[in-house]
Amino acid sequence: MSFTLLTARGPLLQLLGSVVAPAAEPLFIRPSTLLQLLAFAVLLGGIYGLVALGLTMIFGVMDVINFAHGAMMVVGMYTVWWLTNELGLNPFLTIPVAVGVLFVLGVVVHLATIAPIIEAPQENQLIVTFGVLLILVSAIEIAFSADPQSLDVDLGSLGVGGVFLPEGQLYALVLAVFSVGVFWVFLQYTQTGRAIRAAADNREAAQYVGINVPRIDYLTFGLGAALAGLAGAVIPLFQQINPHLGDTYLINAFVIVVLGGLGSFPGALVGGMIIGFVHVFGQFFLPGSGYQIAIFLIFILVLLLKPEGLFGGGAGE
Amino acid sequence: MPVSESTAGGLSARLDELRVRYRTFRAEWYSTPLLLTLIFGVLAVLPLTLNLYAFGFSLGSWVSVHMLVITLVWATTGQAWNMMSGYTGQFSFGHAAYFGLGAYGTILLLNVVGLNPWLGMIVGAVVAGLYGLLVGVLCFRYDLRGHYFALATLAFAELLRFTFNTVPQLGGASGFFKPLPRAYADGYGLLAFQFETLLPYYYVILTFLIVVTAVSLAIKQSRLGLYLFAIREDENAAAAAGIPTYRYKLFGTTVSAFFTAWAGAFWAMYFDTIRPETVYDILINVEVLLPAIVGGIGTVLGPIIGAFIVIPTSEFARQAVDLPGFDRIVYGVLLIGIVLYSPKGVISWPKRLLAALEDSGLYESALGDDTDTDGDSSE
Repeated sequence: MSFTLLTARGPLLQLLGSVVAPAAEPLFIRPSTLLQLLAFAVLLGGIYGLVALGLTMIFGVMDVINFAHGAMMVVGMYTVWWLTNELGLNPFLTIPVAVGVLFVLGVVVHLATIAPIIEAPQENQLIVTFGVLLILVSAIEIAFSADPQSLDVDLGSLGVGGVFLPEGQLYALVLAVFSVGVFWVFLQYTQTGRAIRAAADNREAAQYVGINVPRIDYLTFGLGAALAGLAGAVIPLFQQINPHLGDTYLINAFVIVVLGGLGSFPGALVGGMIIGFVHVFGQFFLPGSGYQIAIFLIFILVLLLKPEGLFGGGAGE
Repeated sequence: MPVSESTAGGLSARLDELRVRYRTFRAEWYSTPLLLTLIFGVLAVLPLTLNLYAFGFSLGSWVSVHMLVITLVWATTGQAWNMMSGYTGQFSFGHAAYFGLGAYGTILLLNVVGLNPWLGMIVGAVVAGLYGLLVGVLCFRYDLRGHYFALATLAFAELLRFTFNTVPQLGGASGFFKPLPRAYADGYGLLAFQFETLLPYYYVILTFLIVVTAVSLAIKQSRLGLYLFAIREDENAAAAAGIPTYRYKLFGTTVSAFFTAWAGAFWAMYFDTIRPETVYDILINVEVLLPAIVGGIGTVLGPIIGAFIVIPTSEFARQAVDLPGFDRIVYGVLLIGIVLYSPKGVISWPKRLLAALEDSGLYESALGDDTDTDGDSSE
């Protein structure tokens, strides 16, 4: 299930191909390649940040670990892919649609499966969301087959000072970073955002001061799913997609959430960036799935040395 | 007196009589070991009856030996998972690690060193036990509970998947082929852990299941079992009562990992190839725990009953609907349905049925509520 970060499209691969060859002397990187890797690390970090933010928000507010989060990303990917290829829409117009679809899906999943057992032991919710994962991924596989798919439109690439960036990748980067910012402002400065942070901080106290916690629950789950959908929606812009792509993102999002501290919002974003960098540079320098092993070693180290995470305890801070 | 009332009263009286008889029978005869002996007796003859025709109908047209083998594999892992997660309440989501270590321990040593698979299985199981101990030490030292623990175990399983995928000495992404038995033993047979027909495989895995079940039952009925269940109910209270919870949780993890590896070793010798995706996949983590959850967490009978519900259901679904991945949808629906509507598992259904019957007013018992006198199987 290892997936290639860089699609076989555009000059990026040729460019990388010429650099991958002298990998025997790994300390040598061309400045242009370094910029490529940096840009990609920030992009992936932003995507990881979005996924982890949704995951940690759901955890902070509801004490639920959403295993279906990766599957929801996949639904976002396929929404964009399908609308673009079948209906011929501009991929950038389809991204908001994907976000909307995922919000609704999140609310429905929450009301159907999580809300009835919100007071049950933690394992129960974990099992239920895993069931949702199985259903979503298999449904997509049945509908669109397990073969990798890519967008028909060629987004071209942008050359800046000898550095070529595929445009899709660039837009994805801008979009991911911009969305993180917008969502941050939403959480920080709007009434609903404050209510979500309050519920994450202390569920019961939030109820006492008059916050409608069940409403916050479904909003949180919907928004968390929408963030996963957004993260998934930008992925087809620069990468082939398949129904199982969400698994790796899910696992790494878990690592990020633990790294940043379960329930910590800034932790998710910073952790996302860290793991994005480890992922991209690890994939470049280490053989095979070495980058993934490095990510897990970070995870184990965090568990060992600082199990409360980098920003631990500050739920909703 | 209206007629209907008397008939209703008659029904109640008869049901009550049945219940009294049942209770007498239960008090005199019922014990989990006896029931298990009965179940294993049935399982021992079950594959032999597949080809018997009765009334123009044979079991073999529905069930294959292969399906029974797979069912028993997951019953075994469910039983092993239960010893840790069901008894102590430490929810492991990473049992694929131990399953895979068992499989790889066997097949790798067989391929590289030429070690007999039975010895390889023991080595794999010991390694799995040690890995379980390591996971336990790392997690429990920092008192990871609930979600944190489930996530950590999953990460430890995924770590192995990627490691085995990457390191060529461990087989890499293509894994290992099972060698022909001539290569390391004198042909097919018990010593080679390879058979020409499926039936001997069935009895091997049935033996594994019996051993694991016996250990599980022995633990449950011992003082040790009491400690483990005390940890599940309230860890702080258990610790306050003087139970060394850390040590007992480690014990549960290690034993569970050890036996899960057995099933993995069997898997390696049953199928032709072993690859990281076939034994370390995320889905394996679910397949390990699904029987226990469906059957009833923390019960000895639960994983066996659960396996016989889960695996045939998904097999039938696969045969009935020719869509790749449909069986996983069935898994998903089973998981959600059980947790939402019957978190205590199928094993609690008879009691629930009786309760529902009484609630509906169709039947009013003159006897007291007997929920407390029920046997240990559903505790």
